[in-house]
Amino acid sequence: MQQSLWLSLLFVAASSLSLGITYYVAHGAQRQAIEQSLTQDMAGFRAAPSAAALAALVNAETRETDPQRRLLSYRRPGGRVVAGNAAIMQQQAGFRVVALGPEPVEISGRFISLSEYIHGGLLTVAQSAKPLDDLRQTFLWVFLFSLLPATALAMLGGVLLARRSARSLRGIERTLSALTSGDLGARVPQAGQAQGDITRIGRSVNRMAQAQQQATEALRQVSADIAHDLKTPIQRVAVQLSRLQEMPDLPQEAQALADKALEETRGITSTFQALLQIAQLEDGTPRSRFEAVDLREVAATFAEIYEPAAEEQNRTLSLSLPEAPVSVTGDRALLGQLLANLIENALRHTPEGTGISLSLRRDGAVAVLSVRDHGPGIPEAEHQKVLRRLYRLERSRTTPGSGLGLSLVAAIAGLHGAELRLSDAKPGLRVEVRFAT
Amino acid sequence: MEGPDFNRLTPSIQICNVRRAAPGCITGAVETREGQALKILVIEDDATTGPYVQAGLREEGHTADLVTDGREGLLQATAAEYDVLIIDRMLPGLDGLSLIKTLRGAGVRTPAIMLTALSGVNDRIDGLEAGADDYLVKPFAFGELAARVAALARRPGLQEQETVLRAGDLEMDLIRRRVTRAGQEIDLLPREFRLLEHLLRRKGRVQTRTMLLEAVWDISFDPQTNVVETHISRLRAKVDKPFGTELIETVRGAGYRIAG
Repeated sequence: MQQSLWLSLLFVAASSLSLGITYYVAHGAQRQAIEQSLTQDMAGFRAAPSAAALAALVNAETRETDPQRRLLSYRRPGGRVVAGNAAIMQQQAGFRVVALGPEPVEISGRFISLSEYIHGGLLTVAQSAKPLDDLRQTFLWVFLFSLLPATALAMLGGVLLARRSARSLRGIERTLSALTSGDLGARVPQAGQAQGDITRIGRSVNRMAQAQQQATEALRQVSADIAHDLKTPIQRVAVQLSRLQEMPDLPQEAQALADKALEETRGITSTFQALLQIAQLEDGTPRSRFEAVDLREVAATFAEIYEPAAEEQNRTLSLSLPEAPVSVTGDRALLGQLLANLIENALRHTPEGTGISLSLRRDGAVAVLSVRDHGPGIPEAEHQKVLRRLYRLERSRTTPGSGLGLSLVAAIAGLHGAELRLSDAKPGLRVEVRFAT
Repeated sequence: MEGPDFNRLTPSIQICNVRRAAPGCITGAVETREGQALKILVIEDDATTGPYVQAGLREEGHTADLVTDGREGLLQATAAEYDVLIIDRMLPGLDGLSLIKTLRGAGVRTPAIMLTALSGVNDRIDGLEAGADDYLVKPFAFGELAARVAALARRPGLQEQETVLRAGDLEMDLIRRRVTRAGQEIDLLPREFRLLEHLLRRKGRVQTRTMLLEAVWDISFDPQTNVVETHISRLRAKVDKPFGTELIETVRGAGYRIAG
């Protein structure tokens, strides 16, 4: 918008300049023509042999001359006009011309004059500068009737163009934000064959999105292939173990071994599943299914789900919720999984009998979901490391679990744009997930 | 409608492992007790899993056909009448997702379970959106599959319209939200009520842990903690313990059920 105004202004300036130069040149030529004609007149009069002859000549010319266009005056020293059609009198501001014809005529307008002493008298010839005035008038009209409408048109066009590019830019902006929020199918709308800069940027954005989509698709395909190629054999092992269990007269010991091996296949699967899920979360795709989720409801549900399990370990699972619903944009299933992972993490890594507190509160515009245990905690230096995939604390090597729980939590939090904070609750670990609301 | 009650043939309530014949247990009695032998089509290309599923279903008393190619499966599913389709997601010829979409597009409404190696939330939603009625992630235990097949084939259930559900001397009044056993009122929390209602409505049918998680708590991931067991044991403490006899049975390797 601003650019188009500047462009219009530039256009006006350039046009005015060229019009000005043209006027200057035309004006100069016209003035020169008048001056030449005066010089020639003067030369004609100079040819007169005496003062009387000159006066007669001037008088003869005067009869055929319109005083509005041409003035002639021949004056003797002393000031008396001897011949001519006008008396030219010097006044404070320029000259005053009085016609000397049979009838009194007021002469006005500008004149260009040439004076010369011939035979003792001063001869002045002057021509009206009206052609110059006309020229100026003409140029003024040209200026008004060509430049002003053109400028108006240019400005209007500029504004329209600016509007159109603003619209295109908004399209690009919308597409980019859709792309960032996981909708990789979003594209900048392409209007026909237009070849502007913005159109080109739009095309580039589309090419980028296309590449991104292909890469994501390829990644997904690879993940799916790996999942299929690894899970099918795991399924086979599970099938074969089940068959083994069905064999008649299988010793008790073999039965127990088969049970254990089956349990192992489940462990392998869940580790594997978690890894695949983290990969999926990190590509951002689930965002396209986001909706409003009430964190209060999620927290209450999961506290209820895990309460009997906590009680079985002689723990108290306490829950503290705000009065009003706390709504965030997200995926309910994933948010539930996040909370479940945090609770299970606490159940698994703290001694039986220690309490776990679950809370949801508002901190300004931030919704804080927090799970706090009363176990040994995690050393400050390890806080970032435990979020890494498959990382396990030295003392946790023997407890069950894949070492993926917290990285899955981190991935889900990241997908929701939430911040994950680990802190020392003295005693115990406090994990806070901070959602923007 | 009521078939012969095979349970009467067994000396007492006998829990049969769905894949392992035990003395005194009639093979297949658990799932086909209501006289409903199902015609099932298994579309699975894996040379171990396919025949295993087929053999297992046959042992349950169902008729099971096995096809290993997607295109062939599509033809077979449209050509013959089946009660349930079991479809692997990744198949040669035509993948499972497209197969179900094509079937549904052609107006074939046969209940279908999708077997899959893909376990993401989105994969699950994709499967259900394509037209699958249930979604089972590999590796699965046969008991899980059998229970889900039975659940699908019997939609709508027998007790869907009832307002009072009964099992033995237990009575659940759905309108007054009241549970009594042997005339004695039992106080249940809302979620316990829902869990008991779910089992009662599917009386005689095994409900696996994952089926219960999905139906009662709306959770589709697999918790690493024995949450279902703990809820069941709480429910038992209220519903079974004071009365001596167990209504809620554990089916080894599969799940829970209330005997019909």
